[in-house]
Amino acid sequence: MNAWYFSHLVLIQSTFISFLLALSIQVPLRAGVFSFAGVGSYAIGAYTAAILTIRAQLAPVLAIGAGMLIAAAAGYLLALLVARLSGLYLGMATISFALFLGVLATNGGELTGGATGLYGAISTLTTTHVVVVTVVVVLLLAGSERGAYGRRVDAVREDPHLAVSLGIDVTRVRRRVFVVSGALGAAAGGMNSLLRTTVSPETVGFHLVVTALTMIIVGGALSWAGAAIGAVIFTWLPSVLQVVGDWQLVVYGVIVAAAAVWVPNGLLGLAQDGWHRLRTRRRRIPAGGAAAPVTTVAADPEQELAALGGPAAEARP
Amino acid sequence: MAQDVLNALTLGSLYLLFALGMSLAWGTIGILNFAHGSIFVFAAFTAHLLVQEVPLPLPAMLAVGVLVGAVLSLLVQVLAFEPIQRRATDHRKAEMQILVGGIGIAIIPLAVAQYLTRSVPFGYSGSTFRVTTWDWGFVRVGNVQLVTLVAAFGLAAVIGWWLRAARPGLALRAIGVDAEVASMMGVDRRRLALLTMAVAGGLAGLAGVLLTYYLGSIAPETGDAFLLKAFAAIILGGVGSIAGVVLGAMVLAGIETLVLVTTSGTWAPAIAFGVIFLMLLVRPNGLLGRQEVRRT
Repeated sequence: MNAWYFSHLVLIQSTFISFLLALSIQVPLRAGVFSFAGVGSYAIGAYTAAILTIRAQLAPVLAIGAGMLIAAAAGYLLALLVARLSGLYLGMATISFALFLGVLATNGGELTGGATGLYGAISTLTTTHVVVVTVVVVLLLAGSERGAYGRRVDAVREDPHLAVSLGIDVTRVRRRVFVVSGALGAAAGGMNSLLRTTVSPETVGFHLVVTALTMIIVGGALSWAGAAIGAVIFTWLPSVLQVVGDWQLVVYGVIVAAAAVWVPNGLLGLAQDGWHRLRTRRRRIPAGGAAAPVTTVAADPEQELAALGGPAAEARP
Repeated sequence: MAQDVLNALTLGSLYLLFALGMSLAWGTIGILNFAHGSIFVFAAFTAHLLVQEVPLPLPAMLAVGVLVGAVLSLLVQVLAFEPIQRRATDHRKAEMQILVGGIGIAIIPLAVAQYLTRSVPFGYSGSTFRVTTWDWGFVRVGNVQLVTLVAAFGLAAVIGWWLRAARPGLALRAIGVDAEVASMMGVDRRRLALLTMAVAGGLAGLAGVLLTYYLGSIAPETGDAFLLKAFAAIILGGVGSIAGVVLGAMVLAGIETLVLVTTSGTWAPAIAFGVIFLMLLVRPNGLLGRQEVRRT
């Protein structure tokens, strides 16, 4: 176990970092905001943490925290700027924001190290810290997915007009989502550059947008658990796919395309669907008698939720 | 100076050929095809594989590019986008699924091309067509440049005329305004969607072959860069507007050439992103796009 842990340490670390990056896109997506600003925040966090560690020898907490603050502020400003965009247009605007930061880093001169990037950001950050941060983030996000607040966010995603008429401040939810996404992306970027001790403009390209998006789509966009599934699959897939050798990328493409076409709610949606079917079947069997079908329909809370446009509504065939 | 203008026009024509079909598909049948860049590279690559076996002249190479591009684009439409549109519950979800599906599909032909070329740039050394340039005194013009310019402006004019004057063009525009009402009026949405995708893929293939002749050789990764530049051109001009795409492609190529000539060129990749971002903030409908009418 121990030998396995040390030989796969890099993969384990990048699983958690990919998970946080995927969350920075999943959080806006859950509120119906199609934003890739998290990838730009990843760049902000990565560079801020590296610069502060190299130049000021700040503790990792402060270096990453500063990156998160800057990225959260940038997220808020971005939310104000792109307030009237939605859908694909918002996606394109945020993609260009993220990729523009990559070019900015290339042209940053001495501060960002230009095209070669920065080296030697050595700190005391360990894998345990990364795991602790991830667990805290997951607990907070899981809390936000439940109860009244979770339902409010669901309403904003499913029907923003309806949400407004119900008295939900849609604009505020959207802004908040940008801020959270910025902080999450910066945390992922900062921890990555401190663990790897380097950062370069190549780390923030179109490929990072693609990676983060595919994780969420294959895993499932409606919950943090979907992002977790996606992060585990796509971090470990390359080592599993070594059997197919050079055709790795082809298999990767087929998986993403197939998931997008046939499993729109991701593996998590598939699992929830299966679990729901299993449960309703089990409930019907002991009831037996003639009155059973009537009571099962009435007493199925998930179906009621679905009728209200809850998270399981689209998972239904 | 005249040389820079000509080079900018050629680059703009290549952007135009690439972006024309994308804009058409996005503005009418609502499909933003992220696999477009991959189709473009793979069509050029197939022509490369073919020309290594048989020495072919320019028209045959262009025909191969168009054919491969159209077939690939049709395959993507039938295998991925049609099932997504059939199944999706609402418009916004379908849009996003199409985007992600396109990204996934784009990886496949690109990976095949990268595997076969080992990511080394490929060219058309086996072709019987010789690239030459004529010196006209104030400017040097290549024969590939002339073909590109004529093809881009000619095809844009033909498609623009067809959309305006022909009945199927009218039907296609009707789908863009309201797909459901259009099909109630007897418009065959499926057939027109297939036609649009085939034309878009064919144009991408044509652009791929011409770009390879123009630059001498291209790397399989060129598709991604072209995809983002095409977005910039489309958004600059306005989604679905043919005159807008022409304007957008030329303006983008003009600014890029200007920056390349006057500075060290490290900022050149940022222009497309800056254009996308600023246009979306200031005028999301583009310079020549039509105002969106909302009745809800």
